[in-house]
Amino acid sequence: MRPIPLWLKSGRVQTGLVIIFILGICAIFAPYLAPNDPNEQNLLSILTPPVWIDGGDAMFPLGTDSLGRCVLSRLIFGARVALTVAFSASIGAMIIGAFFAHVAGYFGGWVDWVIGRVVEIWLSFPPVILSLILMVGLGTGLRNVVLAIILVDWTRFCRVLRSEVIVLRQRDYVSAAQLVGFSHWRTITREILPGTLPLLITLMSLEMGVAIIVEAILSFVGMSVGSETAAWGQMIADARQNIYEAPFNLIAPIFAIFFAVFGFNILGDGLRRTLDTRLTQTERS
Amino acid sequence: MAILSARNPILSAKNLCVESLGAKESFPVLTDLNFSLEPGKILGLVGESGAGKSMIGRTISQYLPKGFAVTKGTLAFDGEDLVSMLPERRRNLLGRDIAFIPQEPLSGLNPVLTVGQQIKEHLLRIGLAAGENWRERALKEFEAVHLPHGAALLEKYPHQLSGGMCQRILIAMAFSSRPRLLIADEPTTALDVTIQARIVKLIAEMQKRDGTAVIFITHDLRLASQISDEIMVLYAGRPAERGPAKQLFSAPAHPYTRCLQLANPNITGPRRGLFILPERMPGLRVLKELKGCRFASRCPNAIEACTQTEPPLADIGPNHIAACIRTEKTPDIVPPPLAPGREIASSKIHLNGEKLTKAYTTAWSPFAKRSSFKAVNSVDFTLGEGEFVGIVGESGSGKSSLARLVVGLDTPTDGRITLAGRDITANGHADRAYRREYIQMVFQDPQSALNPRRRIGSIVTQANEASGLHNSTRERMDRAAELLKEIGLPPDASMRFPSQLSGGQKQRVNIARALCTLPRILVADEIVSGLDVSVQAQLLDLLLKLRDEHGFSMLFISHDLSVVRYLCDRVMVMYRGEVVESGRTETVFANPQHAYTRSLLAAVPPDDVNAEWSPVLAEAGYQVE
Repeated sequence: MRPIPLWLKSGRVQTGLVIIFILGICAIFAPYLAPNDPNEQNLLSILTPPVWIDGGDAMFPLGTDSLGRCVLSRLIFGARVALTVAFSASIGAMIIGAFFAHVAGYFGGWVDWVIGRVVEIWLSFPPVILSLILMVGLGTGLRNVVLAIILVDWTRFCRVLRSEVIVLRQRDYVSAAQLVGFSHWRTITREILPGTLPLLITLMSLEMGVAIIVEAILSFVGMSVGSETAAWGQMIADARQNIYEAPFNLIAPIFAIFFAVFGFNILGDGLRRTLDTRLTQTERS
Repeated sequence: MAILSARNPILSAKNLCVESLGAKESFPVLTDLNFSLEPGKILGLVGESGAGKSMIGRTISQYLPKGFAVTKGTLAFDGEDLVSMLPERRRNLLGRDIAFIPQEPLSGLNPVLTVGQQIKEHLLRIGLAAGENWRERALKEFEAVHLPHGAALLEKYPHQLSGGMCQRILIAMAFSSRPRLLIADEPTTALDVTIQARIVKLIAEMQKRDGTAVIFITHDLRLASQISDEIMVLYAGRPAERGPAKQLFSAPAHPYTRCLQLANPNITGPRRGLFILPERMPGLRVLKELKGCRFASRCPNAIEACTQTEPPLADIGPNHIAACIRTEKTPDIVPPPLAPGREIASSKIHLNGEKLTKAYTTAWSPFAKRSSFKAVNSVDFTLGEGEFVGIVGESGSGKSSLARLVVGLDTPTDGRITLAGRDITANGHADRAYRREYIQMVFQDPQSALNPRRRIGSIVTQANEASGLHNSTRERMDRAAELLKEIGLPPDASMRFPSQLSGGQKQRVNIARALCTLPRILVADEIVSGLDVSVQAQLLDLLLKLRDEHGFSMLFISHDLSVVRYLCDRVMVMYRGEVVESGRTETVFANPQHAYTRSLLAAVPPDDVNAEWSPVLAEAGYQVE
């Protein structure tokens, strides 16, 4: 049997993976797990408190919102939007960012200069405003949310990875690969990419947390998925009006966001500690 | 001398043992160390990496790595035990009565503080005389170590200074408290030869001025014998031999000392063969199980009895002890005969450079004017078939830049380079393909030259991957097995990763990769620097053996003159991007013409311990530092 890799032994990685696994189960099996239809309105029982508080209804374990929709069901279905955005946006941002980072770091010179300046200009826009502008331009919908986050966040990957590529570019084994006749493409994919991969994976895990927050912000201002789809940011926006009567309607989605982002961040931190070659042995232990 | 030896030792170790304490078992790192160092004396600690040299310095400061502890014995500084001493007391001694000079001068200084701020802090800590200004005192200390322009130096940051200057500043700081004991841990390893000579002379001069006792840790037996009064040779954490420096060097009693001496190429007299110590020093795990002499497995004189019990350190002369039961046989160890001098078979010239120049410019930016610097300046050279040409010079002399031009990693800004009759100066696509068939390079730092995420078998057959020929897994594994056999690694090494190999093994893999396509020319950039003498000897021998088999020629770049003298047929001396002297190796070494060559040669400690070592400190015609 192969030994368990070092990164899997880290408590942080395990915690993160368990959280993401729970969320993943919720998202995939939402129709079976949710006690009610998330969009069904029970106007007879609006703003019921959670089941453990007086007046709670066993049919709605976490209570209902101002339209009588089941909070728990909406939370479970909301995980679908959150995870879809988290995965597709971070993969997309990673691909674009990593591509430009490797090109800039490997070729250097004017290529590096141009990419570097584009990234700087891009980064000087406030990210939330930029994504709002993009959403206005692109229109709402899940696909456009993902696209907006990709277009805003690829620079983060590009910046961090570029410096790593430059470090690896100086290694003699890259020169050696050129001397035996590797093409640029092969040198990048076979010699440099394996070295940047740990950082890439770490960044991606952190980016997933960021994507969830950005999606929540966008859906909070109603610029994300339509009202027919349950999303955590929307739930916060809806609960705002009844903040005194039904505080739990607000607390539940906030906790869900916190839970998801915490999971991705602790996973990223654990991966960074175990995979990042720049950390010393002592810092790891 | 007799009066001195009657004085109390400044540092004495009695049965000192240091162990690495693991969760399950512990391993001895230093075993039964006994020595005493009198005031004003220099003790040279010599040994290969892993012998435990640095561990002694760290035991003195009680700055041992995690999990290491002194388990037995005492280490007394002026009668006080450093191990059981209160930490406050020890802190008071360190930096004041006990000073250190580190190996890496640049990392010994804080990069974000000026030299002045750092020396001020140090001087205030050790205390100034009443009414004394720290600045005046600092300048006085700088003067003592021959640092010019002291006032300007105080404003500088460490990165603005050369390694030699940083080391001088550290020496000035170390001696500013007039310490009674100084520990110099490989203080010159990171520096150039000529600077090494000056730094060693400076430490000796300062030590004489203050009557400081010095522990001089080095891997270079020749250097240690020049500067030390007494030498202790360590092998695998235990002293192998200890004795007066001159006596120990001219008549080593322990086979290990003798082998170390013979593994290093000589710099004067007729060239002799190198003694090849097989394998490596046993690891901690093996040592624990070992019953007999630690050196027995590599010793040419070992007999049955050697593997039975550990030999005690026995007297073999006045103040001279060795841990060997057959010391009388040690002089019988002789170097193997030198491989018959190969006459260069044909005068066919492979590679020819004419007025090669490479100017480096600063990074591209539309806003700044690019400035340039000539790393290689109008260099002419030739490389014939089967010929080994050495390029020597200090760091910054343009050796490595020249190598990059030859292999095609850089394109010359001026001049012409022809390879087997074809002009390849332009370094275009076709030129590169053509050049690949002929030239391959062996890189300097094995750590950086091997991709840590590839297996050895995949690294050595990279050329197949590039060309697409014989690229099936089967063919590559077969080729890898052949190559590994040639360079002397076990076949199962091909499935390992570089991190699982030792430094010497990595360098062998590095050579194997270059040999994969059987090139006619190898360019080797400092491939034996930073390796132990015994490993260095193994590699030099391997290169000669491979030349006999494949008949390639080589450009061998090195700062180590004795290695170049041993290996190369011709030599080129580079200084500031230009070739200042070139010719047949024997001629250049026997009768150097250029002042710079002379100073390089004078900087190497002589083979004869009684000969006077007088490194040229500065000479007209070239500038120092």
